[in-house]
Amino acid sequence: MNDDDNFLADAFRRQLAGLVTPAVIRAIESGGTGADLWRSFEESGFVDAMLPESDGGAGIGLAQAFPLLLAAGEYCVPVPFAETMIARGMLAEQGVSPPSGAAIALAPSSVVVPGGHLAGYALVNRSGAPTLVTASPTGDDLFRVRCSTGIEEGDVIATLSPDAEGLLLAAAAVASALMAGAMARVLEMSLRHAGERQQFGRSLGKFQAIQQQLAVLAEQVLSVQVAARGAFVGKTFDPVRVAAAKCRANEAAVHVCNIAHAIHGAIGTTEEFDLQLYTRRIKLWQLAFGSESYWGTRLGQARIASGFGLTSDFLRLRLAAKMA
Amino acid sequence: MPLTSENFPPAGIPPHAEALREEIKAFIREKLEGVPPHIRARTWAGFDAGFSRAMAARGWIGLTVPKEYGGAGLDPFARFVLVEELLAAGAPVAAHWFGDRQSAPLLLHYGTEEQRRSILPRICNGELFFCIGMSEPNSGSDLASVRTRAERVAGGWKLNGQKIWTTYAHKSHYMIALVRTSGTSEDRQNGLSQFLVDLSLPGVTIRPIMIGTGDTDFNEVFFEDVLLPDDALVGLEGNGWKQVNAELAFERSGPERIYSSLVLLDLWARLLGDSPDAADAARLGRIVARLAPLREMSVAMTALLARGESPITEAALFKDMGTEVEQQIPSEIADAVAARPEMAADPELLRTLAYLMQLNHVFSLRGGTREILRGMIARGLGLR
Repeated sequence: MNDDDNFLADAFRRQLAGLVTPAVIRAIESGGTGADLWRSFEESGFVDAMLPESDGGAGIGLAQAFPLLLAAGEYCVPVPFAETMIARGMLAEQGVSPPSGAAIALAPSSVVVPGGHLAGYALVNRSGAPTLVTASPTGDDLFRVRCSTGIEEGDVIATLSPDAEGLLLAAAAVASALMAGAMARVLEMSLRHAGERQQFGRSLGKFQAIQQQLAVLAEQVLSVQVAARGAFVGKTFDPVRVAAAKCRANEAAVHVCNIAHAIHGAIGTTEEFDLQLYTRRIKLWQLAFGSESYWGTRLGQARIASGFGLTSDFLRLRLAAKMA
Repeated sequence: MPLTSENFPPAGIPPHAEALREEIKAFIREKLEGVPPHIRARTWAGFDAGFSRAMAARGWIGLTVPKEYGGAGLDPFARFVLVEELLAAGAPVAAHWFGDRQSAPLLLHYGTEEQRRSILPRICNGELFFCIGMSEPNSGSDLASVRTRAERVAGGWKLNGQKIWTTYAHKSHYMIALVRTSGTSEDRQNGLSQFLVDLSLPGVTIRPIMIGTGDTDFNEVFFEDVLLPDDALVGLEGNGWKQVNAELAFERSGPERIYSSLVLLDLWARLLGDSPDAADAARLGRIVARLAPLREMSVAMTALLARGESPITEAALFKDMGTEVEQQIPSEIADAVAARPEMAADPELLRTLAYLMQLNHVFSLRGGTREILRGMIARGLGLR
């Protein structure tokens, strides 16, 4: 990341710190529309950051979008900001302007649709082409985060060029980045709790058993952050990179949530405690847009199909984030 | 946030280092032709003096040592490329491994000019092989409790004590030994020093330790009134602990912490054929997904080392995760192979698998145990 990217992400984090308070998240989870929050994102322009500068965007590419998505994950943004930012980028790429103020869910074939209850629009696959439609949620909000298990497609607003995969790749990459951000916050909360909570006359963080678990938690979080960053390279999402990112994020999710909740104890699951806001979303993303088996199978097939004799060559030539 | 991906800034291998790769690959192809995978799987446990000297002839030992001391004067990226290719192919690098990775950088940073001039060129030309004398019978993870002692005597030092688990001591010319020069083991990190010990000196006895597999890579090394010259001291007297720790970021950040089972993985992948079943593809893919961010971290730490930084917590985190994947690979492949007991498995795959299945549990011991590393990460997280 260069200084400009840091500047953009830092500015976004400052906005999120002021806007996305736990009270705002809870109000939306309890049935609020999130309209005020959405208006703020529209006004600050971050949701249009991937549009060309001539259209009022910042003209950022995937590598620069990653830190914004990471920040959205860290702050547990409860509206489909990340999905809409990427969707608007995909639309702008083909000269399509979505209706003003549109919140757009990413809805390739998936067990769950993050943001399904809050997005009036969705990108779906129709006859092998990403298609922008008006949308209403169907099925249950399984994780109490305003997701849905499906969407009912309404009017077609725009049809993009045929691309059977692009939407799934974008959705899985976005989920990986949000997971990486949420996990970083989960680590931070766990460290803070271990420092504050006293048992047996000392803080939890003084117990070696807890220290070792926190070390593993940190490892898993860092691994996901680096893996997710690797999916945001180049001009369009690459199936091998996305497969590695989502596979790793899903595998790590289990460890991260188990350890964080073990350290917090029962209190971490309660409505008034913030940890569960994050871990419920991590579980949602785990189920969305392909599991570790799905992406692992695809990655393994890609490794075989590459014809490389050495896995190190596959890592270097197909998965290194920065080529020489 | 205490530790984030910012601790591993995205780094690429620069072109001057990548430029070496094809020549290295060609060299390995030629030298390892016909060597079966179960032998290659030994990688940095495989000792072949001839191979090491052929590497030296190419100028590939001491790649980061300045030219004036017989090295190639290249940066850590060049060494990363070299080591990555050697390990991925399973080249027998043990003979020069410890001198190249640890002893040469140690002498370069802490040695006297005379030590540098007399020793470094002979490491680089493949003449001298090194072993590392850290562990003792009562000092494993608790390294600061070492009791081997060097006492000042006229004209030098008198060394008494014992080291253990010294890899290839019986085939090495020198040991870099961490010993006590003052105080007692209660003084912990204080009073430790490092010495360059010529293993041919009178009073040095080396005894092999045979492990259950029949391998005898490890040794016990006894010192009985060994007289060391004055200039055997490396660095400052009493500075041994600090010097040892400076080596650790180098020792724990390299590809050898993720590639130890790669020869097996690639043999298995090749035998899967063009259309593996979904379960096997998923196993392979999930391993690749664990390796990918680890290689990124190793490249990122190489960049940090090249800038003179010492990413100690990052290296601990990387090694703990890396050795876990190295351990998982034989277990996963064992599960895959024996999932179809009615089918005959490839004999060479089985030999390679069995070798690594008997070794993989120690991957998390060598170079700092899992528990010690997690303690270091906890310190990096501000918990201790």
